[in-house]
This record gives sequence, structure tokens and C-alpha cells, in this order.
Amino acid sequence: MKTPASHALRMALIMVLLSAALFPIYWMVVTSLTSSANLFADRPQMVPDPAQAFNYAETFAKTGVLLWLKNSAIVAIGTMVLSILLAILPAYALSRFRFHGKGVLGFVLFATQMLPEAMLVVPLYAIFAKLLLLDTLGGLILANAAFTVPVITWILKGAIDGVPLEIEEAARIDGCSRLDIVLGIVLPIVAPTLAAASVIAFFHGWNEYVFAQTLILSQELRTASVGLASFVGELSTPIHTVMAIGVMYTLPAVAFYLMVQRYVVAGMTAGSVKG
Amino acid sequence: MSNTASPATATAGRVPRLGGRDRESRWTPYLFIAPVALYLAVFQGYPLISEFILSFQQSSLLAPQDARFVGLRNYHDLASSSDFASVLWTTLIYTIACVVFAISLGLGAALLLDRPFRGRGLARALVTVPWAAPPVAVATIFAWMLNAQYGIFNHVLKLMDLEIGYESWLDNPKLALPAVLFTTVWQIFPFSSVVLLAALQGVSEEVREAAQMDGADRFSIFKVAVWPTIQPTVALLALFVTIWSLRRFDLIWVMTQGGPIGATKTLVIELYTRGFVARELGEAAAVGMIGLTIALVVTFVYFWYTQRTERAQGRR
Repeated sequence: MKTPASHALRMALIMVLLSAALFPIYWMVVTSLTSSANLFADRPQMVPDPAQAFNYAETFAKTGVLLWLKNSAIVAIGTMVLSILLAILPAYALSRFRFHGKGVLGFVLFATQMLPEAMLVVPLYAIFAKLLLLDTLGGLILANAAFTVPVITWILKGAIDGVPLEIEEAARIDGCSRLDIVLGIVLPIVAPTLAAASVIAFFHGWNEYVFAQTLILSQELRTASVGLASFVGELSTPIHTVMAIGVMYTLPAVAFYLMVQRYVVAGMTAGSVKG
Repeated sequence: MSNTASPATATAGRVPRLGGRDRESRWTPYLFIAPVALYLAVFQGYPLISEFILSFQQSSLLAPQDARFVGLRNYHDLASSSDFASVLWTTLIYTIACVVFAISLGLGAALLLDRPFRGRGLARALVTVPWAAPPVAVATIFAWMLNAQYGIFNHVLKLMDLEIGYESWLDNPKLALPAVLFTTVWQIFPFSSVVLLAALQGVSEEVREAAQMDGADRFSIFKVAVWPTIQPTVALLALFVTIWSLRRFDLIWVMTQGGPIGATKTLVIELYTRGFVARELGEAAAVGMIGLTIALVVTFVYFWYTQRTERAQGRR
């Protein structure tokens, strides 16, 4: 089975796969470092031109990209923190307690995955106007976390299922309250999964577009997804500027992901592959 | 926490898993889920019910206070509209193609990356990069790569001397949906491959080796040793990819806004267009309810299917 020829074929296929996965990101970087003249040349420039780095300085100066990235970071971190805070107790309850309505809660958590943001945004807009949440990053975080909390609850529940009951029982005999047990004993044990869940929530907040587009009205509260999308189909901004914004929006996310992907993959698949 | 539950109810009641101290009542589980229940009720439940009611009303985005009840008229209008039939058709094609291509490509990648080789860890990490890229950025870069005159796709096609010429992918009603699909599959296939890689860890080496001893070819080995193990995961993936495809908005909207002439208009794009462009909130809500019904039906089919297979396997 392991002939050199089949091994070579396999490695070749893997190279093709990785090139296909990475090329669009590479191309975004190349385009952001291409001179205006070369953008429209007959033969495209295939490698980034470091001499065009000033394009980034111009992009900082001409667009609100830094502000947008800051807003996106606030929304992403806020979504992450709020989701984790809200998800811990119900995850524990789903894993350890038997109670009326448990099945309903499980179904509701799953059903939120079916609701498109675009559908909820009109009633949400009305609620936000009443609660003075409209046009605030805090409001955007509240809207986003409503979509991540169910996922994270589910993932954490899977991890808590794997924590042996004996550990908790010992603490109970020592007189710890249930809340002490959850926060002091169970959470540290499921910390790797907690990290994975945090990353998933962070990415949701970083990527989100529909709510950021409709629930935020001020220019200075724009997120990067909305800022970047505003250039699509708009012809007066050169494409290397748009791609520079795309790079600044994408590369930090991808780099962060590559640093933590080991935990994310382990945490995510622990919850999803069991059944 | 109150101490109302007597020892008798505590052992027979709702919290019997952990014995010992009796400080917590049978209300503890409800206290644990109360914050999230309240939160989801406000930010998901209430909007959902509002949309449901709205779907029986005529209401304009410009004057929502003048909403009036019109019964089933929004649904009736949709049912008799040929435009809406084509939206359903586009949604169907888009969803099925996402499921088929994302899972088969994901499975192919997972099988390639399953067995050990030098650099496997790095390759497994890099293949998931598309999944980590923000959808709006993905849409932006693919729109540029698919650009009719200056896009790299057309340049490569020209180098290969194909008779295709300078296609304007996103402006051509026949090519726009395949182009959007291609972009979507590029973005989501890593998710399938990560999940399937984990599932492949469960494949029994003994069954695989036994099949190999019998001189089975690769396909038979896959059928006997691999497929039965990963089949439940494939079914679950199909459910998630379907549900996510039914609600995907940002990537399609930024690439085409549902155009040209509705060629990439899925249910969610139609919902958004009716609500925010045509400003008919009632019609938009009806579209949303139809989409939700489809998602629910798919979910029930999934549960029916998994239970049937589990029962069939139990009998064997």
C-alpha cells in the first residue's frame, strides 16, 4: 500500500489542497502590495512588492480602518466575555441536574442555530430603541452573544459531562456550595474547552456583519466587517486600499487562530463528535 | 438558596445525583438556567414571536406603527409569486450543493491528512485557515479574484488557453451562483474536514487491516472499515451545513446582493431585500417563517433518520 508512487501522489494532493486553502489569503496580501499601475496590467504581479508598503500608511490616513478594528476588537472581546459568563451555569445544569424542561432548553439552544440574524434584526431594532441600546457597541455585544451563548453552553456541557462526579462529591462533603464547586473545581478542569469556546465566541463577534450594519448608525462605531463591506462595488477607492483593509482585518484573526487552533479543534470536536 | 426541600423530596426529587448535604433545593437547576433563559427570551424569543405576528401583518419599515392585520395574505402572495418560487429553487440548489461539496471535499482533505507524514500538524492547521477568515473579507477577496477584467481567475483561464474568455462571473446570471457556491465551499469545507478528522480517529485499525489482508482495494476498505464509523458524523455535519447554508447572509450579500437578476437570491437575501430595500416588513417576516419551517423540517428529518439507523444497528 505504501509504495513511493502512492506516497508522492498523496503529498502532491496535499500540496494542491494547501495551496487552494491559502492562495486567496496570499492574493489579498499581494494585491494590497501592488502599485496602481500593476493592478491593471496584462500580466498580474504574482509576489508582494515591499516598496508599496506605503499603501498601508495611506490606508490608515484615508480610512477609519484603525477605529473599525478597535470597535471590532471591543465587540469580539465583549461577545466572548458575556457568552462565557452566561453559558457556564446552564452548561453545568444541563450536564448534572435533572429538571423539568431540560429537553425544551436543549432544543431551544439548538433551535437558535436556525434563526437568521437578518430575520431578528427588525424586532431587535425596536427593542434596542426602547432600551437605549441602539447605536452602542454594548447593544451589539448583547445581540451577538445571543447567538454564541447556546453554542458555548452546548460545548461546555459536553466537557462537563466528562468530569468525574467523585471529584465533586468530595468537595460537597467538605461543605462547598454548588456554586463553589462549579467555579472552583469544574471550571479549572474544563479550562481547555473553555478556551476553545472563548475563541469561537470571539470569532463570531469579530466576523459579525448584519447586526453591525443595522444596529450601529454612527460612523465612529463602525466595525471592520461593515467598513470593509462598504467598499465593495464602490469604484472610487483603489482595490489595493480595500485589500489592505482586508489584510488588516483578516491576518490578525488568522494568526490568532493558528496560535490557538490546537485547543479549538480539540474543544470543538469533543462536543460534536460524540453522538 | 432556601432550605425548603425536606430530605425526602431531595432524594426522590429533582437533584438526586449528588447525595450528602441538603443546602440546595429543587430550585437550584432553575436558578442556574434563569439568567440564560431570560436573556434568550429577550434577544431571541421575543424577536422571533414579533416576527411571527408581523408575518400576518402589512407593515412598512417607514411607518411600523401603522401595521395592520392581513391574515394569510403575505403567505398567499409568496405562494403565488413566481419570483419566490425561484428564490426557493436557488436556496435548494445552494444548500444541497453546499452540503455535497463541503462534506465531500472535507472528507477528501480529512482522508489525506489522517495518516502520519512529516509536517502533518502544520498541514492540518493550515488547511483550516479559510474557516478562520471573516466571511466579509472572503467575499471581498473572491469578488476581486473573480473580477472580469483584472481578476486572477480569468487570467489563469486565459493562460490555460481555455475557450472561456473574459467571463464576468458575478454579473452573469448563469455563473454567479456557481461562483458564490465556490466561495462558500472554500470557506466552510475546513470545518467538515476538522470534524471528520476527529471522527476518523474512531476507525478500528483491526477492521482496516483485516480488510487489507483480504486484498480489498482502497474503496472497499473505505466502505467496510471507515464509512460505518464516520457515517453518524457525516449525517450531523449535513444537518449543520444545511442549517448554516439556509441562514448564510454576509458572504452572499457582499459578493452579489442576491443579483444579477436574482440569480443568487436565497431565502435570507430575499428576506433582507423585502425588509430593508422594499421596506415591506410583513412580507419579509413571512419569508423568514418559511425559511425557519424548512430548517425545522430538515432537523426533524435528521432526528428521524438517526433514530432509524440506530434502531437498525441495534437489531443487527
